[in-house]
This record gives sequence, structure tokens and C-alpha cells, in this order.
Amino acid sequence: MPDFARRIPVGRYRGLHPVTKAILAMVGAIVALGVRGWTGPAVVLAAVVLSGALAGVLRRMALFALATIPLVVSILLVNTFLYPNARDAIVTVGPLSPTWTGATAALQATMRVVAFGMSAAVFALTTPIDDLLTELERRGLGRRGAFVVGSALGAIPRMVERAREVVDAQRARGLDTEGGPWRRFKGLVPLLGPVILGALGEVEERTMALEARAFTAPGRRTLLRRLPDSRRQQLARWLLLLGSICLVVVSLSGVVKLP
Amino acid sequence: MGLLRRWVARQFTTRVIVLMPVAIAINIVLGYTVQSVLKLPIYVDSIGTILVGVLAGPLAGALTGILSNLIWQYAPIIGGSNIGPFAVTAGVIGFMAGIWGYLGVFRSRPATGLRLAVPAAIAVAVIAVLAARMYTIPQYTDPNVGGYPSWVYAAIVAIGVVAAVAVAGFIYVRRDAAGAWVAVAGALTGIVAAIVSAPIAAVVYGGVTGSGTDVIVAALRQGGADVYNSSLGQGLFSDPIDKTITCFVVFVILSGMSTRFLARFPLGERLIGRAEDGDSRPRDAV
Amino acid sequence: MSAGLVLAGVSYRYAGALGAALAAVDLRLEPGRVVGVAGANESGKSTLCLVVAGLAPSVIGGRLDGSVRIDGVETAATRPHELAQRCGLLFQNASTQLSNTTATVLEEVAFGPCNLGLPAAEVVERVWWALRAVGIEPLAPRDPARLSGGQGQLVALASVLALRPSYLVLDEPTSELDPAGTRLVAEALARIAGETGAGILLVEHKTEVLAHIADDVVVLERGTVALSGPAAEVLADPRLVELGVEPPAQVRLERAVRAAGLEWSAALAEAIE
Repeated sequence: MPDFARRIPVGRYRGLHPVTKAILAMVGAIVALGVRGWTGPAVVLAAVVLSGALAGVLRRMALFALATIPLVVSILLVNTFLYPNARDAIVTVGPLSPTWTGATAALQATMRVVAFGMSAAVFALTTPIDDLLTELERRGLGRRGAFVVGSALGAIPRMVERAREVVDAQRARGLDTEGGPWRRFKGLVPLLGPVILGALGEVEERTMALEARAFTAPGRRTLLRRLPDSRRQQLARWLLLLGSICLVVVSLSGVVKLP
Repeated sequence: MGLLRRWVARQFTTRVIVLMPVAIAINIVLGYTVQSVLKLPIYVDSIGTILVGVLAGPLAGALTGILSNLIWQYAPIIGGSNIGPFAVTAGVIGFMAGIWGYLGVFRSRPATGLRLAVPAAIAVAVIAVLAARMYTIPQYTDPNVGGYPSWVYAAIVAIGVVAAVAVAGFIYVRRDAAGAWVAVAGALTGIVAAIVSAPIAAVVYGGVTGSGTDVIVAALRQGGADVYNSSLGQGLFSDPIDKTITCFVVFVILSGMSTRFLARFPLGERLIGRAEDGDSRPRDAV
Repeated sequence: MSAGLVLAGVSYRYAGALGAALAAVDLRLEPGRVVGVAGANESGKSTLCLVVAGLAPSVIGGRLDGSVRIDGVETAATRPHELAQRCGLLFQNASTQLSNTTATVLEEVAFGPCNLGLPAAEVVERVWWALRAVGIEPLAPRDPARLSGGQGQLVALASVLALRPSYLVLDEPTSELDPAGTRLVAEALARIAGETGAGILLVEHKTEVLAHIADDVVVLERGTVALSGPAAEVLADPRLVELGVEPPAQVRLERAVRAAGLEWSAALAEAIE
């Protein structure tokens, strides 16, 4: 196999096996969302910042964080000011009375959401999905699953391109992307049509092309690329996964009270 | 066991495997365009999911929904999003779409005159019942539990009327009784989606969604509803509308495809009626 | 076990269609020969491709009467992945034939052999062989999504060739290409027929291409064979125009010259080639 086709990633974090990085993302999600209180999200945030720094993607992660601002603002406002059955007001200004309970809940929810989002962001920024798909297929995923995900990832930019062309053409004819909701809704229909129908029209020929390339042959598909794995990583994966599940169980059952 | 395996295998023919990525892309691109670029208060990120469910079956539909959410969260090519946890909802929507597919809900039912009036009346009645329920749910009128401010009541009535007129109009303009079925399917899907999403939103997101509909959450909280109920109230407001619109879009798309194309899908025959005798069906390579 | 791809009395009707798309077609494709197919729109050319490659009725349904045999074996009795190894099929649009799941042309051409589960060393060997046969080795590290139309078609051709089929069926492969792309594809096809001994069935609107590389030509009209014979004869046949096929430029020029009352000599024909 020539080098250009091997594409082995380098770096302390990026060089990890894709399944390891996927398990890290899964563990991040489990702990950030499943462990009640401050501990879970805090631990995940710390881990995520560390891995982001190792991989050199902190700046791009910040962009992902910025994208969560509308959600975070909503969480903070609605919960601080309108938390059900909360009586401990911080201050009372006219009809508004933010509460400590509400603020606590709001901050915890915010940390949860940001931690989860950032753990997903680290994964998205450091792991080419086709690396992951190849290694999953090696471990039994099946060619159809790998094809569906891989092909979807290729189809999205193609469709965006097509949509952009249609939007430009419609804008030349007066489609409003500003303006009131009804205007925007009306402009939506001429956009949906060509993009969706065009993509669906290709399904027949793509199906035949797949059959013509023996896609439905029985047995395991040959995988040309192999990414380096290590015993240490395999062990770490299992430990992390089991550990995170235990942590969630412990936290939810109240056996140990974590802050 | 063998029966189950065959039921699974029948839904994942090569053609379905080719359709799913296209459907996932439709979900993500349209969802992003509508939510972030056009900034409309609807999601429209389930068109592909419901399309696959109706054409291929419940498992294929569910998988399409789940994968769309996971891909948008973990491999976002456009617009980062935090909807990963709602993969459960997407899976349920796709599964229900498969059931609609089996029931032939999206099949065209051309009719004229009085035979249109009955389905139209049924659809209007269903919408009226749903709106009335939302209007009078005890949780929302009991002052100890919650309650809407008055503008929400007016909004419910207004939207109910608009929906009823739109659906009845659709049935009459296209002379197709299927509009009633599609509306009911969309409303039911929306209600189930809201019920499934509420706990997720409450536990993960502090009960809000980050979009404009959070005013409804705030309004319900003000009336005294707790985190879960305010989330549920918001969901029951926006999801049935969004899913009904989505189902009608799917219906229009399907009605524009040739029977030749539809027939080759696992549930295609339920969309077009009986197949011709003497033709060999496409051999489903598994 | 006789060599050759043989259609005997083949009729085909699409599922749900009223009339037959093909009626009583006889056709023979020998290894190493190029057979061109021409005809007006809706004359059944695309249907013929699907039937010859065995995709109809197995992948798209419909009803087939008569027999289609590839080297003695009925296509109706063969599974699609085995058919792919006997008879390769190419369409007009290059981008829909790419799997769109691969990062390099090398891996794209390897898609077919990998699907068969062949050992990695054999896969890589077949890929380089196919790239060489089509003449696109320099494209190996390129991103398949960023190729020109002609290059994309050549990659699609190589990825089908990597399955080592004995026959190739191409449905208007150059229709979306410019003249440079068309020339690339036509020359690649001629080379493949000569070097690999594959039998090629080429559906083309551009009769110049057929004049250049086809040995025999068949003209379809409404699903039946209207003309059949050596390329030079059929392409010079006066009935071509009424069958909806534009004769190649050389033939039109010859007729125009003769119609003007001037001499047409073999030397002129040579000079134009």
C-alpha cells in the first residue's frame, strides 16, 4: 500500500487509535450527562481541555463553544428566574426574583451541556470518521453500516453545494432570507424541491453502481488500511468504559454523594 | 428467530442502504438551513427519517434518525449542534414512520365531492380535539400545577384554526383523501416525539431548547409548572406542528415519484397498491 | 461452455409498464470485439444494457423472456456479485458511480475487489493493473470527488475493470463529456478490448466514436434490432437517419460531396481519418 493511502495520523492525542478516541467521547458523554452534580461535568471539562490542548485544537473548540451560547443563555435565564418551587431569592427587583436554587441548577445544566458539547467537539476535530469506520468494520461492523455513515458524510457537502446553487438562483429571483416568517417559509419550498428530488433521483443509478461493484458479495470485506493499536489502549478503553458506568450508577443510586 | 432475522433483512436491501445516506444528508442540510439560516421556529430535520421509515420499514427509519443525530453531533460538517441526546426521539420518529408505512398511510386516495368531505371533516375534528385537549389539560389549568398566560390560549385557537383550514384545503385542492391520514399520522408522531423528548430536555438541558419556543417554557414556569411539565408543554405545542408539516412534505415528495421507482422499495407496494402479476420482484440481495 | 455473451429471443417489460421495452432481440458479443449500439431515444438502448449485464430483472424487477447467457451460464441464475465479475456495467454520470466513501482514486478502484474479500496483496495488484489498463496511474493519489467528468468516468471504468469481467457494457459513457474527455474514454476502451480481450458493448449517440472503435454495430428501433452488421456497413446505411441516428461526420461528408456531383476517393477518406 502506497503511503498516501495509509494516512496514519501523528500526535500525542491524534495518534491514539480511533476506537480509543470514540470511547473517550462516549465516556465523556456518559459522565457529563449521567453523573449528577458538579463533579461529572467538571471532570469531563478538565479532561476535554487537556486533550484539546494536546491535540492543538483549543481554538477551534472555542468556536464550538460559541455556538452553544444561545442555548446557554436560555438555560441561565429560564432557570435562574423561573425555577419551580424555589423560594431563596438572591434579590427582588419588581416582578423578577432570581433564586439561588435556580441559579445553581442553571449553572450545573450549563456545565453539563458545555462539557458534553466540548467532548463531542474534541472527537469531531481529531478523528477522521473513515478511520473510525474502517476500524469498526475490522471489529465486526459490517460493510453496509460503514457505507451508510461514510456515504452520508460525503453526501452532506454535495447537498450543501447544490442547496447553495439553488439559493443563489432563487435570491436572484427574490427569495427572502431576511423578512418575516411567512416570507421565509414561502421561499423555502422552491429550495426544498430541486435539492431533495435531485438527490433522490440518483438513488436508482447509485444502487445499480453498487451492485456492479459486487457490494452484495458475501463474507467480510477486505480492509486495506490498518491503524496502529496497543494493548495499553485496549486495556484503558475497557477500564474507562466500565469505570464511567460505575460512576454513573454510584451517583444515581445515591450510594456516594458527589458534590 | 429466523422470522425476525428475515424481517430485519428485508428492510435493508441495497436500495435502502443507498437511500439512507441521502436521507441523513437531507435531514441535516434542511434542518440546518431552516433553523440557522432561515431561522424559522420549526425543526424540519426529520424529512429523511420519515421518508426512509415509510419506504423501508421501522428499523430502517429508526436507524436513519439515530444516525442523523449522532452524525450531526460527532461529525458536523455544517453547523455544530447539540442534538445528540435527542437521537432517542429521532429513533422513535423513524420507527413510527415505519408503522405508517405498513399501514399505507401515505398512499394516495383520490376522491371527489362528498367522499372528500368525510376525511376533511375527520381531520378537522382530530385537530379540534387535539387543540381542545391542549387548551384544557388539567395540569395547565389547575393553578396549583401550572397554567398558561392568556396569550397562549389565543395562540392555540389560532393555530388550530389555521391547521384545520390548511389540511382541509390540502384535501380539497389535491382531491386526495390521504391528507386526513397524513395529518393524523403527523399529529400522533409529534405528540409521541414531545413525550419522549421532554425528559431528555428536562434532565440534560435544564428544560429548554435554545430556540424561540422557550418563551412557552417560561410562560408555563411562570404559571407554576415544574421542569418536566413545562418542557412537555412546550413540546406538545411545537412538535405536532413540526411533524405534521414534515409528514405533508414527505407525502408531497412521495406523490411526485414514479410508481416504477417506489415499487422497488420494501414497502413501496403499500404506497401504490397491488403490484402487477407475473413480474418478478427485485431479488433482494442481503 | 461456449464463449461469448449471447442474447436469444430476449423480450423485457419493466414492472408496471404496459408495453415491452425490448422484443425478440438476438445479439452476440465475442471476447475482444467491440459491438456498438445506436438508436433513437426510447429505442431500448439503456434497457438492453441492463438486460445484458443481468441487472434486469434481478435488481430492478420486471419480466424477462428469452435467454441471456454469459459464457454459457444464464444470467437469471447468477447472483449480482457474480455477475459483476463476468460483465461490468457503466453509466453516463461519473459522480453517481463513485462510492463516495473513499479518499483516493486507488481506494476507489479497490472498492470492488475489496467487496469480494480478496487478499490485500491481490487487491492492490488488480488496482494497479486496472489503472494501467485505463491509463490513469498518475491519478491514484487524487480525491475522486475532485476529478473532471472525463477523469471520473475513467476512474469508474477502472473500478469496474478491477473485477476482471470478461465483458463490459457501457451506456452512453461520453454523453456528459467534452470532446477531450470523449477521446480519452474512446481510446481507453479500444486499448482495453485489445489488451485484455474483454468483449465490449458500447451504446453511443456519437457515431464518430462507434466508427472509430466498433467492429460491429447494431441499431435498435422501438425495442427490436433494425440493423446489424460490420460497423463500416451499418454506419453507411442510408436508413440510419430515419431510424433516428445521425451518421458519422465522414459518412455525411461523403454523401454531401457525392450529392454535389464531385468525386469521392479513398485517398480523401484516408486524409480525414
